[in-house]
Amino acid sequence: MSIAAARLVESSRGVLAEFFNAEDPSRIVFTQNATHALNMALYGLLRPGDHVVTTSIEHNSVMRPLRHLEMSGVEVTVVSCKADGTMDMNRLNDALRPGTRLLVSTHASNVTGTLLRIEAISSLARDRDVPYLVDAAQTAGAIPIDVQQIGVDLMAFSGHKGLLGPTGTGGLYIRDGVMLPPLMRGGTGSDSAHEVQPDFLPDLHESGTLNVAGIAGLGAGVRFLREIGVESAREHERELVSQLIVGLSEIPGITIYGPRDAALQCGVVSFNVDGAMPSEVGLILDEQFGIMARTGLHCAPSAHRTLGTFPTGTVRFSFGWFNTTAEVDGALEALHKIARWAKSAAKDEVKTWMA
Amino acid sequence: MDGLISFFASHHAIRAETVLKRNGLAARLIPGPKELSPNCGVALRFEYAQRENVVTILTSKSVRIDGIHFYRPRTDDWN
Repeated sequence: MSIAAARLVESSRGVLAEFFNAEDPSRIVFTQNATHALNMALYGLLRPGDHVVTTSIEHNSVMRPLRHLEMSGVEVTVVSCKADGTMDMNRLNDALRPGTRLLVSTHASNVTGTLLRIEAISSLARDRDVPYLVDAAQTAGAIPIDVQQIGVDLMAFSGHKGLLGPTGTGGLYIRDGVMLPPLMRGGTGSDSAHEVQPDFLPDLHESGTLNVAGIAGLGAGVRFLREIGVESAREHERELVSQLIVGLSEIPGITIYGPRDAALQCGVVSFNVDGAMPSEVGLILDEQFGIMARTGLHCAPSAHRTLGTFPTGTVRFSFGWFNTTAEVDGALEALHKIARWAKSAAKDEVKTWMA
Repeated sequence: MDGLISFFASHHAIRAETVLKRNGLAARLIPGPKELSPNCGVALRFEYAQRENVVTILTSKSVRIDGIHFYRPRTDDWN
């Protein structure tokens, strides 16, 4: 029974290692989610007095640990992205110092979908001899990632998004040669005679019973992706994003945030409707049209300051393999109606106010 | 429903919905309107006339409330 469970876990680990082209399966450790993986990396690597560089479009899964570490004496530099979320490489270069302990960035903004050029950032980090941690929560399974070719040192990923696994799964890729102390210690089913944590991967980072059922599901998701091909998944999302951006641009009173170019973003698009709060748009989309969107700040306050959408936030659509062009058409039709409604509702308010 | 309760976390919002429904009171979760509270993604609509009753019930079940508001959003007039 325990061997059968271990086989399931190792099979999923093997599929993921191959999927990301890790040196060997032991370089992938399973976590509860991307946030857990990011915390492992940040708390493992950073000590009081260390300097860390990050970007202004990070999710709170990076920002909150960093702001907490800051209180214990870690120096945090946040490099501002442009209003569409893109990064000026010169600014990033200027922020790195001799002895900077870590550079951490997202692969894509969870608000606008803006892709950061992680190959370029990785090569800059290597030139400056700074380890590079990537948050691939938005892109793992949605955009092809070869960790060795890109040259990342650590990469956190989420299981339940692009990788099509269940919620409560994720992982951390740790390049061969990167020394990362564990966040938790405990039973690993190995080295059981010793009261000291084993020092080898993946056991070093996998204390306590794993989410075996979830990890088995994650493995099934990645096998499905391998069958359809991650390039096809990327192409499909790109088509839907492009269709949405073109359609939204034709609706008077809608503002789209981010690059507005499907080639420069992942399957995420943020927008606002003039005269309506994001929560109103989300409620109407849900209750009147059966369309799900996320509204508000998306757990990334700094990203919204970068875009100029703080504190109101945005309406965000995100796509996956199972979304269709017909669904995008339906969403565009709904948004035409909502934009018209918001315009006339705003006029009514002005009238009431003047009376 | 013309009342709205905002919460600090969805943990309390979901519990409040269950508790109120179990007590035979109308309750419906909606995306939290930012203009009323920036704290939590979801809020609960209820009958404003029942507010004293609602507060008593929720307090007795240790459900934490951020705020109680009179709330007649214009989205009710959609169509």
